[in-house]
Amino acid sequence: MEFAWSKDDQEFRKDLVAFLESELPDDWQEISREGPGSDAQAEFSLGFCAALAERGWLTPHWPTEYGGNAAPSWSHAVLGEELWSRGEPRGPQYMNVNWIGPTIMEHGSDEQKALHLPAISEGRVLWCQGFSEPEAGSDLVALRTSAIADGDDYIINGSKIWTSYANHADYCFLLVRSDPESSRHHGLSVILLPMDSEGIEIREIPSVVGKRYFHELFFTDVRVPRSCLLGEEGEGWKVVSYSLQYERVGAPRYARATVTLDRLAELARQKGLLDDPTVAEKLGRARAACEAARVLSYRVIDQRAHGLPPSADTNVARIAGTRVDKLVGDLALELTGSSGLEAGTFANANFKLAMTAGVAVGATEVQLNLVASRMLGLPRE
Amino acid sequence: MDFELNPEQGALLDAAETLLSRSAGTARAEQLVALYDAGEQSADGYDHDLERALNDAGFTGVALVDGMGPLEATLLTSAVARQAGCVSFGANAIVAAQLLGRTIDGPVALADTALPGPVRFAAQAVCLLVADGEQLRIIEAPATDLVDVDSNFGYPMATLPAELLAAGDIVEGVSAHRMRALWQLAASAEAVGCMQAALSFTIEYLKNRRQFGRSIASFQAVQHRLANCAVMVESARWLCAETAAHNAPAEAAAATATHTMEAATLLFDDTHQLSGAIGFTTEHALHHWTMRLQTLKLELGGAGAHALSLARLRWTDAEG
Repeated sequence: MEFAWSKDDQEFRKDLVAFLESELPDDWQEISREGPGSDAQAEFSLGFCAALAERGWLTPHWPTEYGGNAAPSWSHAVLGEELWSRGEPRGPQYMNVNWIGPTIMEHGSDEQKALHLPAISEGRVLWCQGFSEPEAGSDLVALRTSAIADGDDYIINGSKIWTSYANHADYCFLLVRSDPESSRHHGLSVILLPMDSEGIEIREIPSVVGKRYFHELFFTDVRVPRSCLLGEEGEGWKVVSYSLQYERVGAPRYARATVTLDRLAELARQKGLLDDPTVAEKLGRARAACEAARVLSYRVIDQRAHGLPPSADTNVARIAGTRVDKLVGDLALELTGSSGLEAGTFANANFKLAMTAGVAVGATEVQLNLVASRMLGLPRE
Repeated sequence: MDFELNPEQGALLDAAETLLSRSAGTARAEQLVALYDAGEQSADGYDHDLERALNDAGFTGVALVDGMGPLEATLLTSAVARQAGCVSFGANAIVAAQLLGRTIDGPVALADTALPGPVRFAAQAVCLLVADGEQLRIIEAPATDLVDVDSNFGYPMATLPAELLAAGDIVEGVSAHRMRALWQLAASAEAVGCMQAALSFTIEYLKNRRQFGRSIASFQAVQHRLANCAVMVESARWLCAETAAHNAPAEAAAATATHTMEAATLLFDDTHQLSGAIGFTTEHALHHWTMRLQTLKLELGGAGAHALSLARLRWTDAEG
């Protein structure tokens, strides 16, 4: 065991921080206020990610043949921490580098790799994720959106829901049922769907979280060539399981929570509340929870660095990350008082970010199920 | 960064676990309590035999061996706790080793003058390390006419009279804050071992216990509680290891203790709740780990005090 950052990682962090300090504009707080899905941030991300990519910092952990530097997995963790803690200037592109790219690398054809990976590693493409459906939420394999083979094409019909970033996306990573006679995990496939295809309708679902946070996608006879199929037809569940392991720890929520907490402590100091033991104790407990989530995320990255297969440690880390997000989000409102209810304020933004944490990427209860069966070996019946 | 044990650490833990499976375990803990309760002359509730075995095998002084350090001592502290060893291993192998640069040949007790009340191993200790405000005091070969309080929270414990505490020699060049940080780590490492054992023992019991025609462990309401426990134990375990690897910096030690003692509350409540009435009996081994968790939780003022100290360390200039 060894818990120190390598010299290379430390150097990288130093250079990255210096770059961020010079690259992020003075009004970055303003731009990032509405979260990674906002128009402002999606637009900003295209320029910003290109600048990152120029330095090889968008996908440093990718193999060189796909536009990376073959850097150790830990450099990706450094990137995630520094960017998430600053409000994720990569916008929706954090998904591309965290899990969409790696999944294409693992399951894609040569043609798909050539089409998608350079675009991702150069920071010039936006993606969204089409998994959930109105009747397939936590029970994802109940999904019904179909892609039926028709000659050299697939014809897609159905709908997807809660799709963040759909309004900006160039592509959708779409999970469909390719065998209409199948059920559950069988007969699923993944389609890399160009969002400019005929027959796609995008509707915003108004929410209390933020503007254009959720969308519903409707597919009516959307025709795409078979070359859009990722992996084998009918093997979609295998592909998506691979993705989810990356997605669930992709966003280091603890890093943002840690920075938010420091700002809250500063706010408490200005209000003369930092000496109040009830306030200090809450801040201290939240700080400890941040540290707990951090070390669990590191555990997952370490397994990846060792080339170990994905394990339930990913779900453990996700549960802890969600917990800390909610703790800090609640504390932000509590410490700022009713002024935090005003849209656009610091506390408001953090609360909004936290309120969906336990539902996104598989509800906490689903994560708990996976820990119960995979880590603790608890029986189903 | 590397979370896997290196070969030396793996060999060390294997060897310790072999020794512990022979010389410790819940049957041994039960035997110690029975002898103690029967008023057996030589039985003071402390496992002197286990301590000797750990000393002779070189485990107690592991942190002072070239190439090893507080991380290895911390891993062993958790291992001893998993096997319900009733010895002051963490106080000796982590706290004394780092503060004094040597280990003590016999039981070690840790106290803080600001926190009166029974102290575990106070009557058995051949060495007391006492945090007194900013200063660290050491009392070797204390007058041992102390009488243990009547308690079944997993360790023999006695109240230290103020005049005894004041009589110690001040250890120059070492602050009480440093001692408290190491103590936070040692208590956390021991709690981690207790929690790991309590959780896996409870899981095995619930897998086999059938009600309503099925294993209790198959109910989702039960599974989610156990999974939440696992999240807390895993995070406490890794925080301990990381803090130990950095030799217990004050802020990291406070964060580790805050989180670990929060975890201990959850583990105590849930393992007992899910075990039902059998969990409260002495024939069911659960209590060997859970009752100790309560004692560990109260040291240095508990999770609330650790959290306060963490807040001061991170956001003010105070020393915790």
